[in-house]
Amino acid sequence: MITFEGVSKRYPDGTVAVDHLDLTVPTGHTTVLVGSSGSGKTTALRMINRMVEPTAGTVAIDGDDVRGQDPPVLRRSIGYVIQQAGLFPHRTVADNIATVPQLLGWSKRRARERSRELMDLVGLEPAHSSRYPHQLSGGQQQRVGVARALAADPPVLLMDEPFSAVDPVVRAGLQDELLRLQAELRKTVVFVTHDIEEAVKLGDSIAVLRPGGRLAQVDSPERLLAEPADDFVESFVGYDRGVRRLSFFPARDLPLRSDVIVGEGETAAVAREVAATTGEPWLLVVDSRRRPLGWVSADALAAAADDRDVAELDLVGYGHIFTVSTDSLRAALDAAVLSPAGRAVGVADDGTVLGAVDQTELGSAIWAAGSDDDRSGTEDGRG
Amino acid sequence: MVEAVRAALAFTEPLWGWAVQSWQWGWSNFDDPVGPMLAEHVLLSYASVLIGLALAVPLGVLSVRYRVVYPPVLGGVNALYAVPSLALFFLLLPYTAFTPWTAILPLALYTLAILVPNVVDGLNQVPDHVRQAAVAMGFGPLRRLLRVELPVAVPVIIAGLRVASVATISMVSVASLVGLGGLGGVILTYGFARDFAAPVVVGIALSVALAFATDGLLVLAQRALTPWARDRGPARRGGRSARRRIPGTGARAREEAAA
Repeated sequence: MITFEGVSKRYPDGTVAVDHLDLTVPTGHTTVLVGSSGSGKTTALRMINRMVEPTAGTVAIDGDDVRGQDPPVLRRSIGYVIQQAGLFPHRTVADNIATVPQLLGWSKRRARERSRELMDLVGLEPAHSSRYPHQLSGGQQQRVGVARALAADPPVLLMDEPFSAVDPVVRAGLQDELLRLQAELRKTVVFVTHDIEEAVKLGDSIAVLRPGGRLAQVDSPERLLAEPADDFVESFVGYDRGVRRLSFFPARDLPLRSDVIVGEGETAAVAREVAATTGEPWLLVVDSRRRPLGWVSADALAAAADDRDVAELDLVGYGHIFTVSTDSLRAALDAAVLSPAGRAVGVADDGTVLGAVDQTELGSAIWAAGSDDDRSGTEDGRG
Repeated sequence: MVEAVRAALAFTEPLWGWAVQSWQWGWSNFDDPVGPMLAEHVLLSYASVLIGLALAVPLGVLSVRYRVVYPPVLGGVNALYAVPSLALFFLLLPYTAFTPWTAILPLALYTLAILVPNVVDGLNQVPDHVRQAAVAMGFGPLRRLLRVELPVAVPVIIAGLRVASVATISMVSVASLVGLGGLGGVILTYGFARDFAAPVVVGIALSVALAFATDGLLVLAQRALTPWARDRGPARRGGRSARRRIPGTGARAREEAAA
């Protein structure tokens, strides 16, 4: 657990980077410090490993004031991932990763073994070990940065906008990778970003800092989106926070209709009958393995000859699909909005169709999520 | 065609004669004085550059760590550079007499004007994120200097060494006026003093050859010392990915400034 108690940083010229910060970072969780430029988030982060010394207050790790330790010694026990990776250009990937083990005096063999382990952990090919940083892509460099930070297995990991210098696709991949790593390693992670999307995706809790270094709100991502403490947080979180918040509600409780599904090989006459009994304007056609082929409209069925195979009719693409067991309401809503039939197709993990949900049913589920606030509010509480 | 070649040969004949004559003179006098004087030239120039480097590194490190030190240091080494070498040689004579130090000390001081700025530039072009990463990993100040900052500065420092060594090799000859000039002695004592062209040509040719050879050695040394810089020019700071990241760096710098 990392605790900030009344921590301030005031520079000699009078600017205040951090103003009376009280914050608890729980062990084994990811806490994201988010804020715009000048909110002091990086300054706060660097107080943990003494790269910045507070002018007032105390920063403690598990109750021990960080000022009780010699800075270089303290820093070797805290992983640090910097923006742009900060790899040593004159050292190979393996040597970069082994930096802290070498400083700690590990034997060459043990450091090398540890390097190999970590490359495997962060998804780098062993062949990369003898390359130099500039021979890697931005995403690979950042993986090396993460591996280097984890090399001596520190309990605390500080990450200072680590993914902001890579393109969005690579960034999403690195974020997923971090979530996977964190699920496995359960480090105490303090992550700094200016990107609220990234904060919501990665954080177990989010601390929003306002310009001038004052804490605006600490909450779980879902609570932050549901109930911003004030106008500043609300504007920072963004206008579509309602939609984004839906990513915290599972899609698995949605009522899926399977009676609107017709299989490949059925005749138009049979399908017309289905459309008539269900009163649905669209039917979903699936193949023999129950994978989606597309939507057929009741109008198209009405115009078709009785003995035509439904799969041969003019089908409308099914667009996005959502995986019922793992996706959120947000993904289901997205699939429904993008579908020409206005309905989202839900599939099982193996890709077979479980059923479809229309926008009316989605609407009720979203309404239920909105009125759920009181229940979820008790889970994390306010910081 | 044949006529043209013949005419050209006739025109250059005196030059050919000169070259052959010089070669013959140089060869027959290699044991004395050409060989020993070449050796002296190597000793004087290499010792000067090495001593200059040994002084420039700590001066450069100090100038980077304490920025107020740099302007006076730079002013000082530039002022030294402006002092005519001949004057310095004669000024030193009463103290160091006709030992090699009379030549080495001034020449070493001259290299500072080239080497100190290069050490400073080399250290300053260590990317900020690399330096901060080194701090965050737990390098103390000395270890950071020796294991991260100086190694990353090596290409720029060697670039300075190349300029300094060529300049020094050419300047050594002036010391022949106090009897210590290496190949300058060949040019002065055996050439001009006797109004004889061959030693002048030999002295110039060997001096230029030595400069080329030294430069080549330094290029090889750089390749051996900095395998990591091999497929990117030493002048390119931070390499391929750095340019793409400049916007990020700017944002950080602004944030730090605002903080």
